[in-house]
Amino acid sequence: MITSLRQGIRNYFVFLWRCARVAFVGDWRYQAWMGGLAVVCLLGLNAYCKQFARGLVVTGMSDQVSWGVYIANFTFLVGVAAAAVMMVIPAYIYRNEELHDLVIFGELLAVAAIIMCLAFVTVDLGRPDRFWHLIPGIGQFNFPASMLSWDVIVLNGYLVLNVYICGYLLYCRYRKQKPSKWFYIPFVFIAIVWAVSIHTVTAFLYVGLGGRPFWNSSIVGPRFLASAFTAGPALIILALQVVRRVTASAPGEEISRLRERALAPSVRPSRAATLADLDALELRLPEMKSVPRESRAKALAGATVIAVNEGDILLRQGDTDNAAFFVLSGRVVVKREESGRLRITRNIGPGEQFGEISTLAGTPRAATAIAEEQAVLLRLTAASLRELMKTPAVNKIVHSRMSERLMITDRALMTLRGIVQVSMLINVFLLVNEVFKEFYSGNLHVISSKYLFFGLEGHHALVPWIWTAVAFNLVAMFLLVLPVSRSLKWLNVTCVLAIVGIWIEKGMGLVLPGFTPSPLGEVVEYTPTLNETLVCFGIWALGLLCYTVFLRMAVPILQGRISKANEGQSAEQLLGSVPAIPAIHANATHN
Amino acid sequence: MRRKLRRLTTGLAALAASLRPLMEMNDFPTAERFMQKYYKELTPEEMQKVLQRIEGEVESQYGIRPHVRDYKPMDGVEFVYCLNLTRCIGCRKCVHACVAENNQSRTPEIQYIRVLKMPQGTFDLDKAEHNYRPESVPEKGFFYMPVQCQQCKNPPCVKVCPVHATWQETDGVTVIDYDWCIGCRYCEAACPYWARRFNFTKPSIPKERLNPNMSYLGNRPRRQGVMEKCHFCVQRTRAGRYPACLEVCPAGARKFGNILDPNSEVSYILKTKRVFIQLKEEMGTSPRFFYYFDA
Repeated sequence: MITSLRQGIRNYFVFLWRCARVAFVGDWRYQAWMGGLAVVCLLGLNAYCKQFARGLVVTGMSDQVSWGVYIANFTFLVGVAAAAVMMVIPAYIYRNEELHDLVIFGELLAVAAIIMCLAFVTVDLGRPDRFWHLIPGIGQFNFPASMLSWDVIVLNGYLVLNVYICGYLLYCRYRKQKPSKWFYIPFVFIAIVWAVSIHTVTAFLYVGLGGRPFWNSSIVGPRFLASAFTAGPALIILALQVVRRVTASAPGEEISRLRERALAPSVRPSRAATLADLDALELRLPEMKSVPRESRAKALAGATVIAVNEGDILLRQGDTDNAAFFVLSGRVVVKREESGRLRITRNIGPGEQFGEISTLAGTPRAATAIAEEQAVLLRLTAASLRELMKTPAVNKIVHSRMSERLMITDRALMTLRGIVQVSMLINVFLLVNEVFKEFYSGNLHVISSKYLFFGLEGHHALVPWIWTAVAFNLVAMFLLVLPVSRSLKWLNVTCVLAIVGIWIEKGMGLVLPGFTPSPLGEVVEYTPTLNETLVCFGIWALGLLCYTVFLRMAVPILQGRISKANEGQSAEQLLGSVPAIPAIHANATHN
Repeated sequence: MRRKLRRLTTGLAALAASLRPLMEMNDFPTAERFMQKYYKELTPEEMQKVLQRIEGEVESQYGIRPHVRDYKPMDGVEFVYCLNLTRCIGCRKCVHACVAENNQSRTPEIQYIRVLKMPQGTFDLDKAEHNYRPESVPEKGFFYMPVQCQQCKNPPCVKVCPVHATWQETDGVTVIDYDWCIGCRYCEAACPYWARRFNFTKPSIPKERLNPNMSYLGNRPRRQGVMEKCHFCVQRTRAGRYPACLEVCPAGARKFGNILDPNSEVSYILKTKRVFIQLKEEMGTSPRFFYYFDA
């Protein structure tokens, strides 16, 4: 008992250590990107240290406008964090398979966004050294009266939830174990409700202030959610394409070479499989033990064993041949062509299967499988595979491994486009509601909106910003409604417009007019200082750095390149072994 | 290996360089100040120690030994302020008396009272002029309205504070524990009267102007990064004196007293005046600060 616990803890720390190592491995582009972010982070830290020493006087804030870009960014990022997890809804509730693979990217984005949120509120504090006054039980926590105390709870709770879910799923994938539903599905559903709550609570932070009519409006909460569900998935659409691009291992020309080559099963020697081969598989796949004798005999009817060489193509994306494979020895890599590039979706070792989805469903191959080294494979027809899967244990393991792949399909991006589309329409509609109520009724409270949209007493600082935001949002809305945004190029333009538009509208466009004019009618304008801007850049760089590191760790684990099975090998070896693939064209002339 | 070591040292050097501005700080919180307990949790003995420490700190900074006390609210007392808008001439003497009495920062300037110059015939605060500088006051066609903390019965600032650093005492005064405030400025956003002020940097007071009669929850010098506001001069009023703004008023526009005492001046005013105004009454804050007119 004790030893197994000790072993478990050791395994976990090895996992963490290997993850940490992976963050430092990468080509020169990766190193340059990380180095650049680190420099911006340090510049931000330097600016923050100045602020820490001299006080918030180094910012543009005043007693009249007492919150500025820090809180504006905070508000925007809470939305991003909330929306990132909302990808879970189509994946888990509507069982969208293609999004299912990508949920973890959304959750990791949520973690990075919350880290940025916490950093932004911390830099906004006048006395960060007294943060402990906020810790329930140790300090004096004004719960439930203060909405800020609610925010402390929901933000930190959300961080813990997402770190837990991501960590658990990745660790299971690393150990090639099926995640136990009880250990994460309940938390996924809690996270959905929690996501709504973090953004609602953040809206209530403003809505609850009766002395600020611009904020004291019940539409702020719904508007926050609508704009979050626009900007969040838009950000994920862009992030996923970046992941897809940077994890692509081969340029386009290699794809055409792949196409020219014959499939290995047609040119390599093969023989009929025997019971001994199934026993060999059983050593690597213990679930096979429970397959009864007669079932084994039936399955052998359509089974062959083939020996393949490094670089052999075993099945090809788009083909409609149907046979599934189990690896008896050696390693196989699965690559998928996405937007003209090849990307690794899976690494397969002994005892694991590939090609089973298209075989069972009779659909075209979703990816191309290539032998990474000399390998021996068990090749099964659809009937044979179905026979083996009559045994519940085998059925379960085969099904659970079906989801062990990393595919970023255009269809998944289009599902996200659908979310952005609907949310943007609602967002603009709610904005129209707000503007109508403010300007049509014409009561004195319209003054903040007047300041925002038209300027007041010669003060116009926000006017160009808000009209830019309105223009961006409207253009993005029309692009989203038109079919043109089904092309990725236009979708990306749309996403950038939506993100920038919402960042302005929800940040500066919400926080600053609430303070202008002051409750005593004084109009004081706020402009962020250079120092304040540097702190903001520093925090954004920190967030990007975190997200990059998270992706850097998660992608090889999701691909199966780093797993418990190859514990002995260093990250450099495993990630550096990508050049082994060009062996495809090294022996392009098959015999 | 050597390359790794060089990278590590470059990284550490860059980190050290970016932390450099911290060197210019001269009052890093000491362990004692960092660990200081919340006002309401201090025992009388602990309070004595804290008060002595504060006296020492003020002395080392200003060269004057102050007398810092923790003035407690008196039983059977609820303070109320009444301001006669017919009499106020907008001279701002109250503003300056307040700054002197309450050891407010001179650079940057922090003032608890803002006198609004209002055009005759309106109560729309958006029409108020804040920075009026005429040759002489009062000016024809205007009236003047000083605004300071309204000491609400239902204070939004207290509700929103995440750490209970500000609260209402039994005599109706809302106070701040300057050593507990985390400087989030949520109270400043919540106040409908713009009564709260933030120390955006270290306050500075000329030595010779320091008022040595100090209270813990009142006029002792504040630190960088915390909130402050009008506290009805607790160091005076809880010792039976009038607030500084009242004493200095040349027009007799300011009245202050105990509303629980039926014979007090404020009780008389609120009983006899036909109209008095609680600023932004619709907010439901129920101020203890009343504006009234002679006729």
